[in-house]
Amino acid sequence: MSFILNGQSHDIPPDWADEPLLFLLRENFGLMGAKFGCGVGICGACTIIIDGVATRACTTRAGDVDGLSVRTIEGLAEGDSLHPVQQAWLDHGVPQCGYCQAGQIMAAVALLDEVSDPSAEDIDAAMDANLCRCGTYLRIKAAILSAAEQV
Amino acid sequence: MRRRALLAAAAGGLVALIGAGAGVWSQVPVIPARPEPDAETALSWIAHREGRYTLTLPRAEMGQNIATALKQIACAELGAAWEVVDVVLHATDMPRVKATVGSESVMLFAEPLAQACAALRDALAAGQVAGQVSVTPRPVADLRSLRTGGLIGASPEITQGREIVTGAPLYAADVHLPGMQYGRVLRAPVSVEVESRPVRWNIEAARAVPGFVAVVEDCGPPIGKAQGLGIVATRPGALVAIAEAMDVAWSMATPHARSDIARAVDVDVRLSQGALPHEVLDGAPEDGAWDVDLRIDVPLAAHGPIEPRAAVAAWQDGALRVWAGTQDAFYIRDFLADAFALPAMAVTVQSCRIGGAFGGKTICTVEAEAAALTLATGNPVKVQWTRAQEYALGFHRPPSSHRIKARVAQGRVTDWDHAQMSSHIMFTAAVVPPWMQRGTDLFAGDGGVARGMAAPYVLGRARAAYDMVRLPVHTGPWRGLGAGPNALAVEIAMDEAALVAGVDPLAFRLAHSADPLLAAVLARVGEIAGWGRAPAPVGGLRAGRGIACGTYKDTSHAAAVADVAVDAKGRVRVTRLWCVHDCGLVINPDQVRAQCEGNLVWSLGMVLTDDLPTDAGHVTAQTFADAPIPHMTDVPPITVDLIQSDRPPQGAGETAMVAGPGAIANAIRAATGQRPTRFPVRSEDLGA
Ligand code: FES
Ligand code: FES
Repeated sequence: MSFILNGQSHDIPPDWADEPLLFLLRENFGLMGAKFGCGVGICGACTIIIDGVATRACTTRAGDVDGLSVRTIEGLAEGDSLHPVQQAWLDHGVPQCGYCQAGQIMAAVALLDEVSDPSAEDIDAAMDANLCRCGTYLRIKAAILSAAEQV
Repeated sequence: MRRRALLAAAAGGLVALIGAGAGVWSQVPVIPARPEPDAETALSWIAHREGRYTLTLPRAEMGQNIATALKQIACAELGAAWEVVDVVLHATDMPRVKATVGSESVMLFAEPLAQACAALRDALAAGQVAGQVSVTPRPVADLRSLRTGGLIGASPEITQGREIVTGAPLYAADVHLPGMQYGRVLRAPVSVEVESRPVRWNIEAARAVPGFVAVVEDCGPPIGKAQGLGIVATRPGALVAIAEAMDVAWSMATPHARSDIARAVDVDVRLSQGALPHEVLDGAPEDGAWDVDLRIDVPLAAHGPIEPRAAVAAWQDGALRVWAGTQDAFYIRDFLADAFALPAMAVTVQSCRIGGAFGGKTICTVEAEAAALTLATGNPVKVQWTRAQEYALGFHRPPSSHRIKARVAQGRVTDWDHAQMSSHIMFTAAVVPPWMQRGTDLFAGDGGVARGMAAPYVLGRARAAYDMVRLPVHTGPWRGLGAGPNALAVEIAMDEAALVAGVDPLAFRLAHSADPLLAAVLARVGEIAGWGRAPAPVGGLRAGRGIACGTYKDTSHAAAVADVAVDAKGRVRVTRLWCVHDCGLVINPDQVRAQCEGNLVWSLGMVLTDDLPTDAGHVTAQTFADAPIPHMTDVPPITVDLIQSDRPPQGAGETAMVAGPGAIANAIRAATGQRPTRFPVRSEDLGA
């Protein structure tokens, strides 16, 4: 079993195949961006992109990404140059505690990859299931709109 | 020796070490020591070496972005460029700092930090390159960083922002150590205030689960009265399968005497038994009929941070090292040293960025679990609570029940009586053991429950008093402590009093305001919201506009206006929010705004969603679906206006909680004619 992780091929160790993908990424590959928030697909803190689709890593079985391409927040920037969504997040001072933000950013990247010029309704539809207890929602919306001008 | 660790793999030599002192957990609580910061201590927060500075953050970073604000102070005072100051989060190997609570990080720490930086700057200018600097505090007017200009009043890119947006490890659960294993402590599905312990489990079935490492009976102090059973695995997901396979049978004492929580805190039942013992306002209202007489109920609520608490513990070089997302690393250190009979020197706690705390990450729970499991197995152990554990084992905003009355004559409140029944916030059972509770319950009030009961108005003969009762759920500090619920009750009653008096609610509040700064934020919010104009109509829905204001901890002020739209089924949408905020000198306006925005989203949650379901005194919520928090589409456009002030800086992390909920509740009244008094509001109370 193997998959593409941020552009590179990796084996899925057999004893990790039944683990949630979130734990494979975090604890086996050391990619700590995606977060555990609820473990049942409700909060979106673990959002990553599988073959272009924003997906909950906590409810995806690691073995099920065999042959697929997984993109995490660690794969967005090219060297020191941030992805426009990451830059927009800094420009708008979006993060408070920051814990939800990797998931928010990946959901936003998936949205912009699909709809380069999203309407407010598109943003609501794509982002409403990503929870933020700190209440950064308005800044997330503003950051997505300004990133859309860059991508 | 009662402590045993059943290990599948051979354990290290440390199992013996934890045997000492065996299993009888200390009955004397470790009380958080909270020294006030001073310039002398602040010298240990800032260091210089070869042209670079290191600022060791004396606070926990949990989303208030205090690392950014304090770095602004340091750079401004040192005259140092932003790029040459590195910020690191503290560990307990520096002099003790008080817990990060009460919105105090700028209010109490800015000046000592500025004094220390000024002393360091002068020492460097005098040619000193090594050794200790001494500080003689100078007049505040001589400090460069406590006045607007340059970095003060600016909003640079937030510290750790780059790490957040690139997914770099920052939080306790992101710590990864060689040979690390994963732990969980199972506890009975019953109230934490009912004695419970594991009695039987299927060890063979557990061993058969791939990844199984150990069952650990001595897995740290109980949480409340719930003794746990530890499990350790090589992969975190295996913990679920192991727990299931173990099929633990629990011994559980009979249900808690106050399992009916709503009845236990029913203020009218309590008032029928006599006067309330703890007075906040001691006026003597006259007997007679009341113009306003409302019963307001606010339920148990979770903090709901997206990060379930986590800790990593390891035994390294003869000492216990713990990484924690805690509001009080020093308390965690003291607690662990006491619990595991280690000298304080042999325990170090490293603060990690916290994924939301809101008052809920002040006590020692998951850290002790991780420590016990690492001591039992000899390997580093990571423990992160499940969402269900957060609800069942954490402490929560206590439910409160208010009877609030006012009498009005010639447009003024002449008599006021606010009675509150709640549960403990400061002397919570999550920290204080039963024998000590008996003492505190007899004599002590609770400043957390009282917070915000003294209304910021001149109200004639005004009385406010409260009592508390111990509940089967753990209660404690929650953003604003009592101030949120108390201000909600006060602002609803003021709104009703204005209605009875036939006076505009803004003018009514201005006429009663006891503080010109409060009057100023009120007047200003009226201006920016266009108070007096009808709210924008929303296609066929009942629209309404409400106002509220308040003062937090005597020093910071906020006023808010809300517009709502209510449909025929009684479903409420908040359609617009305005807030004016005065917290004195503003170091970082963008982050103060962010705190206001966050508080307004919390205000919306407080009125519309916050509720933690229980059954027979046991929290039954398992996921966010059972204890919902606001979503993106619940949040309307928000306008925040900050008062420019040269008062010393005050707190901003909780202030708007005294204004937002009342404004929304009063807007619902304006829209529907129904005065919401049970929270969160229910659509069946608001149907057309
Ligand atoms: S952790 Fe995956 S959705 Fe919450
Ligand atoms: S920034 Fe804290 S949960 Fe979103």
